[in-house]
Amino acid sequence: MPKKKTVLRVNGRQHELALDPNVSLLQALRDLGYTDVKNGCEIGECGACAVLLNGAAVNSCMVLAWQANGAEIVTNAGLGTLDRPHPIQEAFADAGAVQCGYCTPGMVISTKALLDRNPNPSEAEIREALSGNLCRCTGYAQIIEAVGVAARSLREAGEASRMGQRATDGSRSPSNSPGADQGVRRGGERR
Amino acid sequence: MSDRVTPKPLPPHHLPPLKQIGKPLRRVDALGKAVGATQYAADFSMPNMLYAKVFRSPVPSARIVRLDVSKARALPGVACVLTGADLPNAKLATDMPGQTGRSARKGSDAPVLATDVVRFHGEPIALIAAESLEVAEAALQFIDFKYEALPGVFCPEEALKPDSPRVYGESADPDAGAGDHNVIARWKIRKGDVEKGMAQADLVVENTYRVPFVEHAYLEPDAGVGWLDEQGVINLRICTQVVEHFRTVAKALGIPQNRVRVQGTMVGGGFGSKEDVTVEIFLALLARATGRPVKLVYTREEAFLATSKRHPFTITHRTGVKRTGRITASEVKMVADSGAYPYLTPYVLLYATGMATGPYKIDNVRVDSVAAATNQPFTSAFRGFGGPQAAFAYESQMDEIARALIMDPLAFRRINYLKTGETTATGQTIRSAAWSEECATRAVAALGDRTPSSPTRKIGRGFASYFQSYGRITWFHDTSRAWVGMEMDGTVVVRCGVPDIGAGQSNSLCQIAAEVLGVSLERVSIYATDSALTPLAGTSTATRQLYMSGNAVLQAAGVVRASLVKKAAEMLGVSPEEVDLADGKASVVHGPRSVATRPSSLSSSLEEDDRTASASSGRQGEPGARIPLAEVAAKCASEGLPLAHLAQFNAPFTEGIDPETGQGDIWPDFTFGAHAVEVAVDVETGEIEVLKSVACHDVGRAINSAAVRGQIAGGSHQGLGYALMEEYVVEKGMTKTPSLAEYLIPTSCDFPATDVIVLESGTGVGPFGAKGIGEPSLTPAAPAVANAVADALGARIFSLPFTPEKVLAAADAGKDVVRPDPNW
Amino acid sequence: MQPFSLGDALKILSEVKDAEPIAGGTNLMVDMRAGTHRPRVVVDVAALRDLHGIEVTDTEVIIGAATTIAEMLASPILAKHAPVLVSACSSFANPLIRNRATVGGNLVTAAPCSDTAPALLTLDAEVKLASVRGMRRVPLEKFLVSAFSTIRRSDELLVSVRFRIPSATATSAFRKMGLRKVSCMAKVDVAVMLDGDATGRCTSARIAIAAASPAAVRARAAEAALVGKMLIPEAIAAAASLTAKAATPRAGSEYKLRVVEALARRLLAEAALAIERGGSNA
Repeated sequence: MPKKKTVLRVNGRQHELALDPNVSLLQALRDLGYTDVKNGCEIGECGACAVLLNGAAVNSCMVLAWQANGAEIVTNAGLGTLDRPHPIQEAFADAGAVQCGYCTPGMVISTKALLDRNPNPSEAEIREALSGNLCRCTGYAQIIEAVGVAARSLREAGEASRMGQRATDGSRSPSNSPGADQGVRRGGERR
Repeated sequence: MSDRVTPKPLPPHHLPPLKQIGKPLRRVDALGKAVGATQYAADFSMPNMLYAKVFRSPVPSARIVRLDVSKARALPGVACVLTGADLPNAKLATDMPGQTGRSARKGSDAPVLATDVVRFHGEPIALIAAESLEVAEAALQFIDFKYEALPGVFCPEEALKPDSPRVYGESADPDAGAGDHNVIARWKIRKGDVEKGMAQADLVVENTYRVPFVEHAYLEPDAGVGWLDEQGVINLRICTQVVEHFRTVAKALGIPQNRVRVQGTMVGGGFGSKEDVTVEIFLALLARATGRPVKLVYTREEAFLATSKRHPFTITHRTGVKRTGRITASEVKMVADSGAYPYLTPYVLLYATGMATGPYKIDNVRVDSVAAATNQPFTSAFRGFGGPQAAFAYESQMDEIARALIMDPLAFRRINYLKTGETTATGQTIRSAAWSEECATRAVAALGDRTPSSPTRKIGRGFASYFQSYGRITWFHDTSRAWVGMEMDGTVVVRCGVPDIGAGQSNSLCQIAAEVLGVSLERVSIYATDSALTPLAGTSTATRQLYMSGNAVLQAAGVVRASLVKKAAEMLGVSPEEVDLADGKASVVHGPRSVATRPSSLSSSLEEDDRTASASSGRQGEPGARIPLAEVAAKCASEGLPLAHLAQFNAPFTEGIDPETGQGDIWPDFTFGAHAVEVAVDVETGEIEVLKSVACHDVGRAINSAAVRGQIAGGSHQGLGYALMEEYVVEKGMTKTPSLAEYLIPTSCDFPATDVIVLESGTGVGPFGAKGIGEPSLTPAAPAVANAVADALGARIFSLPFTPEKVLAAADAGKDVVRPDPNW
Repeated sequence: MQPFSLGDALKILSEVKDAEPIAGGTNLMVDMRAGTHRPRVVVDVAALRDLHGIEVTDTEVIIGAATTIAEMLASPILAKHAPVLVSACSSFANPLIRNRATVGGNLVTAAPCSDTAPALLTLDAEVKLASVRGMRRVPLEKFLVSAFSTIRRSDELLVSVRFRIPSATATSAFRKMGLRKVSCMAKVDVAVMLDGDATGRCTSARIAIAAASPAAVRARAAEAALVGKMLIPEAIAAAASLTAKAATPRAGSEYKLRVVEALARRLLAEAALAIERGGSNA
């Protein structure tokens, strides 16, 4: 089968590829080294392979790689790193929401998609947003908690940066604003 | 419940304040997983790597008539195809992972690759290694496989009949008695005099309970990479619960044990399935045959077919009881489906047998259990290991008896609960706290006010008590090893072979080391799960790691601590009793040192150190004086004093139980607890909704409270799934639920959060008085649902899961049942 | 293949052997992986402008076939005119699937447990099929033949599904029953749409079921039994009973008849109550 030229833009990087037309986006991403995108079932049932495709959370196993040509793809590893984790990732780590961790990348992606459109979700809305991500270890409770913490964290950071913007005119320094410090909390006690 | 009993006050803690233990600290593995940096078994690749696929049997019972792989071998890009013919002696000894290497039953070992016959749907027949996954998959189609269907046996009751087909053929066990040719294991318990006990009873209640095949459904399909290193040692980087499988691999390949190395990755869920050998031998064979690295990743559907399931059981309880509620005798019969190969069946059966009568004091007990081979999926370890099946039966039975006596279920149990100092059905004395009553009372109380029923939506409440062992069978002489050392800068390293399967196994060890050495958790690193480089710590199974490796770390850290304390005392000019290690410093305190509860072997060595220390220095130093640990460590190093220690922890070693009476100790200890639920049953659609779920367990001591809560929440969910939606359907040996679309596990929307109540008696044999919670958390959940549904409907469903059909049938049966007004 | 226009897509479907449209891929990808369905050529129709968008005219609502379930859930047009369809969409699989799955794909796959089909049947929906030979419109009821079988010819593309805007007084309800609360194949789907006059007499009744028969069907006898009657419990019970008779579950799934009957009764009662309250939730 002739290969299809495909450009995949992943976490801000551009990849120019010639791919077998049958290759799923999941396979293409993992072959490119984005192994944070996990294969749990390959039939769209478990959500472990979730990525953001032009901002929408989708199962990458259900997308043919060439269908994603030119689209903006974000994987979990694109949201944060060990040195600079995303507030969602931090919240998961702190809330005990990570046990075996295999569902975590997909959970974080679905969480990001949720909080992007609904910064203050109710518990029911959180459960619904995660209903396509299976977890076998946690029973979901600490994950749902983590999403709530992350939502609050992001709202506070949003507040802080808005206040910081106002402060460019005034005398108030952004670092005094609550929630502005998103520094890594290591080994400390949970709130 | 009608009478609200005030829970008894908990015994006083004798521990000095703990700094790290018990806190919900961020686990050492959490952030790496959260940002997607952690590399699981399938995330690793090597240069020049081949991709493997396994050719599997499409049928459950057949003779292989033709297996011609020549066309597959000839396919461009195929590097190697192996069949059973290429491995004359390769058998997988399927029982006893790891340390003790007991020999297997005659003829029932699983061949690594089937040769003459296939015994289950999915049995491996050939291995392919190719340049790409696509080529390997294509090559599967080129294998010329012809078979002749053989009569199979598809349920254990059939397998026990004298004229049933022999799963292992004529050669296996020719001396077996009639109907015994498919028997894999039998256990029995004879305690007291059951006939006499039944005669004393005012009422005898008999029921039969059934549970199905269940699939682990961990999120990470089995996977790994194998290669030969520069010394020709076979390296296997795989997800596993057992690093010690390197021995099994060596045996299957006919090579020395020190020529196989297992590097275990962070496991994406195991729950017992990754306790068996999965991809190890396939990778080793292909790596050896090709001389190149080989990667094997199971698809989800393949993981379903290729790996073990929880044992189906049929359990009949016959219980004699007095009107007062006292149980006088219990007779239990158990039949389990061992599937196509034994794996851990004999021990799962033992667990179910030993826990068959539940956490109750019964003087007259007779249990007969048998497991038979069939041409169904092979069954082995799954979280609870026979305990969940037994609990579904005994707790359903307890409520049935209470109903027959018209007695409150909790009041009935109170009369019969086992207490500390009393003996189980096998005569094992309970030495730790047995807080069944406390846990059940609290769990039920936490349900709060009862939701009102309506004619179509009936509300029911139920709870279940349980006990579940932690630690392995004591006649296996279980051991674990850990190495703890302090670096020159005061940071700490732990080396331990422990496989981390997601429950925080490695983090707990770090938290213990941190506590003992007075450093924060961030200052501890752990290197784990490598059979070549880390001390072997045994399996991550049987709820044993915290107990075994936790105690090993406690010991090892304790020795390092003693060394540091002794030196620091000299440097501070005080006696060692006045030195504490905290916040990365050695400081002078007055009063008892902050040292953890430790096993007696450690205590005596510390006491000896104390005496030596106080003899050598009598000066009093400044209270509040402190030295950074790095300085103390540097001083130790310059004087050649030990800063590291390798400790081995031994579980109690016992002899086996009496084969005729089943009497004797089986396990180190038990965890006790309870689960309570409130359900709403729609009597027109058969749907069950869990409205409230409460779990209360005595975990002995929580090392990381967030991890403990996570285990209880997760175990509860698996148990609720077991009750309400999980059934691995097999028809005539063929799997009918081949993927996660058919086999349903709970989502985020299915159940409310379980209210988790953690009690800490401090009486466990683990570090700091910890017990175990990994498996126990699952055991009572399904029976709690069973009792709640029976309460709702006034009729009981005797088999799991509670499908709409079963619910509707029970609703019909219970329609005219007059039930006493529920007031709890 | 990624055609730029509908015309190009239709040309490919007519000229290229074994070519199959793909949009969200949530069914086709599963089949391709399983090997049960491996078209030689796959034609991406997801981006075709003609297949997108939800429009409303004076008389009808038109939904492009490539509209995702998520888009339908978020549509104010559907919220206003077809709450039964929105309700069906909200119980469709899970959010990740909904972002890709399309209504066209769901109808063309014609799984017995399709969630959109029963809702659209109560809306008396019509599908529009296009090929190089032209366009044709077919009532959805006729389009769905049996399990995984429709009257679509292999060179035809489902372009849109449309329905007349229900009357301002019509009310509706939908319920999916599965073995798990979300993200599973339906065991029983029931959708109803009722209309009544000021006295509470039923002027129109549409009842559709899925997952309890090879294809989603309208329960015509039950509907006929209700029209002209007062929407009182007895009439509703009779209609529910007739609805169950329209179900043809597979052997061993007879319990579904009870569930269909129960759900139909509840949904009809719910819709009837809404009429009584004078509200429109159609």
